[in-house]
Amino acid sequence: MNMKALLRGASLFVGLVLFAVGGHANAQVGNIRVQCPGDNDGNATIDTIDPLHPNAKCMHLAAGDGFINMADGKLLYTFGFSDWTGTPADDVPALGLLSSNFPAPTIMLDEGDEFYLTVTNVGMAMRPDLFDPHSVHFHGFPQAAPVFDGMPEGSFGINMMASLTYYYNLVEPGTYMFHCHVEATEHMQMGMLGNLYVRPIQNRRPNGTVLGTHVHSNPDWNANRWQDDPLVGDKYVYDDGDGSTRYDVEVPIQLTAMDGEFHDLHLAIQPLPFAYMLDNYPMLNGRGYPDTINPAVLMNTADDPKPSQKVNSIIRAQPGQTILLRISSLSVTNYYTLATAGLPMKVVGLNARHYRGPTGKNLYYDTHSVTLGGGESVDVLIDTTGIPAGTYPLYTTNLNFLNNDTQDLGGLMTEIVIAP
Amino acid sequence: MIRRILIASILVGLFVPAYAGIDGLTGTTFHFTAKQDFITTPDGGSITIWGYANANVVGSRAQYPGPTLIVNEGDTVTITLDSEPTFAVPVSLVFPGQSKVTATGGTPGALTNEAGANGASSVTYSFVASSPGTYMYHSGTRPDLQAEMGLLGAIIVRPSLGANYAYDDAGTRFDQEYLFLLTDVDPTFHDLIEFGEMASIDTSKFYPVYWFINGRAAPDTMAPANSPFLPTQPYNALPRMHPGEKLLMRVIGAGRDLHPFHHHGNHAQIIARDGRLLSSAPGAGPDLAHAVFTIQSVPGETVDALFEWTGKGLGWDIYGHAPGDPLQPNEYAGDHGKAFPVVMPELQNLAIGPHWNGSPFLGTFGDLPPGTGNLNLNAGYYHMWHSHNEKEIVNFDLFPGGMMTMLIIEPAGVPIP
Repeated sequence: MNMKALLRGASLFVGLVLFAVGGHANAQVGNIRVQCPGDNDGNATIDTIDPLHPNAKCMHLAAGDGFINMADGKLLYTFGFSDWTGTPADDVPALGLLSSNFPAPTIMLDEGDEFYLTVTNVGMAMRPDLFDPHSVHFHGFPQAAPVFDGMPEGSFGINMMASLTYYYNLVEPGTYMFHCHVEATEHMQMGMLGNLYVRPIQNRRPNGTVLGTHVHSNPDWNANRWQDDPLVGDKYVYDDGDGSTRYDVEVPIQLTAMDGEFHDLHLAIQPLPFAYMLDNYPMLNGRGYPDTINPAVLMNTADDPKPSQKVNSIIRAQPGQTILLRISSLSVTNYYTLATAGLPMKVVGLNARHYRGPTGKNLYYDTHSVTLGGGESVDVLIDTTGIPAGTYPLYTTNLNFLNNDTQDLGGLMTEIVIAP
Repeated sequence: MIRRILIASILVGLFVPAYAGIDGLTGTTFHFTAKQDFITTPDGGSITIWGYANANVVGSRAQYPGPTLIVNEGDTVTITLDSEPTFAVPVSLVFPGQSKVTATGGTPGALTNEAGANGASSVTYSFVASSPGTYMYHSGTRPDLQAEMGLLGAIIVRPSLGANYAYDDAGTRFDQEYLFLLTDVDPTFHDLIEFGEMASIDTSKFYPVYWFINGRAAPDTMAPANSPFLPTQPYNALPRMHPGEKLLMRVIGAGRDLHPFHHHGNHAQIIARDGRLLSSAPGAGPDLAHAVFTIQSVPGETVDALFEWTGKGLGWDIYGHAPGDPLQPNEYAGDHGKAFPVVMPELQNLAIGPHWNGSPFLGTFGDLPPGTGNLNLNAGYYHMWHSHNEKEIVNFDLFPGGMMTMLIIEPAGVPIP
């Protein structure tokens, strides 16, 4: 069946579902609940700072389904998250339906934050036969307790038409990732994956703080930390104490891949092939090359009201700047090696920890490639000092994944542009 | 696909945590007989295997993996190998990471001396276990097929410093230790062996659809060790610990693929690879250790990592204490008495997992709908430890399964054998 025709059919179908949901909306509305200190109207934005939680940060994600476009034009049915922070909670079930993003909205946090993440399960419009719960697993969160870990065998998932608020007290900076952990093989293959990282408190040290041989710059320093933008002044990957993880430009890069046939079978309500899962669409941040370098939001149709692929992977820096790549992998099937050509890599962090031994010995190493399996992350600095201006590839050296299914020169590749 | 969770929950419901620690054979002199047998998978399948049986016990069957050998630093380890009369191929043993291995008897083969087919001859291998650590052994005879068929196992060499240390360094002390020997299986090869079609096997076509920890696929990983319904898969993998303890993970990449072994709950400190402490100089201790949340397990490599957990810094009291209550052992005092930060959804809005205790608090049961949460006996915290190439946590087409188990953080006072 032509997938675009199917999508058009889907919008009619969604209308029917909305009607059905609306039929007993009154009985359900109390289950859509945002919890956010200082938010007076349930839209997950802070209206007045709660003195008990001055460092609170809030977000409201809907978990549901949607469609994405591959670089060769193939439309894939997906599960995923969409960001409704700022929207009244009661509107989210209707708005969040059939609007999932891939990758999921990026979660950017700062050490010292209290993060209140509300997840509302809006249901799967295209699979009304399913009653799957969803969850968020903050992958790598230290000292985790099951209640906020999102691993449903040891805790629970949230049912359709209800909300759950996760709470994370952020004490360890680094590059993490997040995904739904319900029926993980299926829901992750279907696309419930996103970037998540935590910036260090060192960014908010007072201007002039001496860090070893480095003097910290923070012109907008303020004792009220919510008035100190962590991105103004010097930025670091970790609380290194010596400025050795300072960078100028940061880009999260998430490696994922999808099996087109698995998604087609899902949409057709057929048994799912786990053993014979074979990913034929390798992607960076939810797109295969050349979509990775397209600055635009990708649309499924010309008038797509809810575009789903919002994250590109363009990396730009001026000569002499240091680039931080926050690389994570949420592949469900493969290890990938990601490499630069013509640019040096320095690994300074691994799995959301400063790459430093217990006695303080730096374990940094220089390379031009890093290898990641699913659920691994690495922090790479690229110092462009002395590098000629130009465009350099960041690509997988598993060369068989440089494709979008049968389309050549695609897949796991993007470009690093060094220009004044 | 929620019914799959329900089915799996029923299966898991049969098992109650029973035994912890690393099972294996101790001593210095061992005798293996290679035999053909079969293992079972939780989806109801059975797979023909070749395995090493402990010939020192009469009537022992082949086992997957072979017996874990637990020896002491400095021991002279001797292993005699032969095969059962119906075992139609030569077989052998190699010991990656051990030096000066001698092999006497049998017939010279490509890598080492081989015991003749059908029990025609035996070989005696010997080496001095000179370096403590985690190692493996496997067949050196057509290893592309024989190791995959099950002819492999683990060796643990305990240091002189003491049984509760991984290496001869005070920084390697542990309270609990567990083995995670990771393997992958393509049942096509095993079926062809069963049908007498060994000549048709093309190991370059390896396509695994079953994944194992210590020879079992989940949820059998959580069943008791030496379970009577898994007679050829004696080892389980069910790590348990108390808050504040150090748990040593011994991870062996014994299969053909890399496996990213993700341990929920906390980071672990990798202190050694391939039986060598990550140390910059003799006496410096594990100063090159580093923390990970996923152990990149590479074929043939062993990794030792220390995992600790107290709940430090969560920002709420994991025991649900009031401010004036006494501290639990190893409780993080900075969060003592801090209130739970959110309101939980109503029970009818939650899809409850089989290991949920009904409450956010360690050691406290809460309200649960009938028939749920029944696998958590002590109101412990359950964290999944699994391959994060998530395709590998299925049994063929059935989720969940495969290379997966649970860590149980038990409240203080719960006995862990």
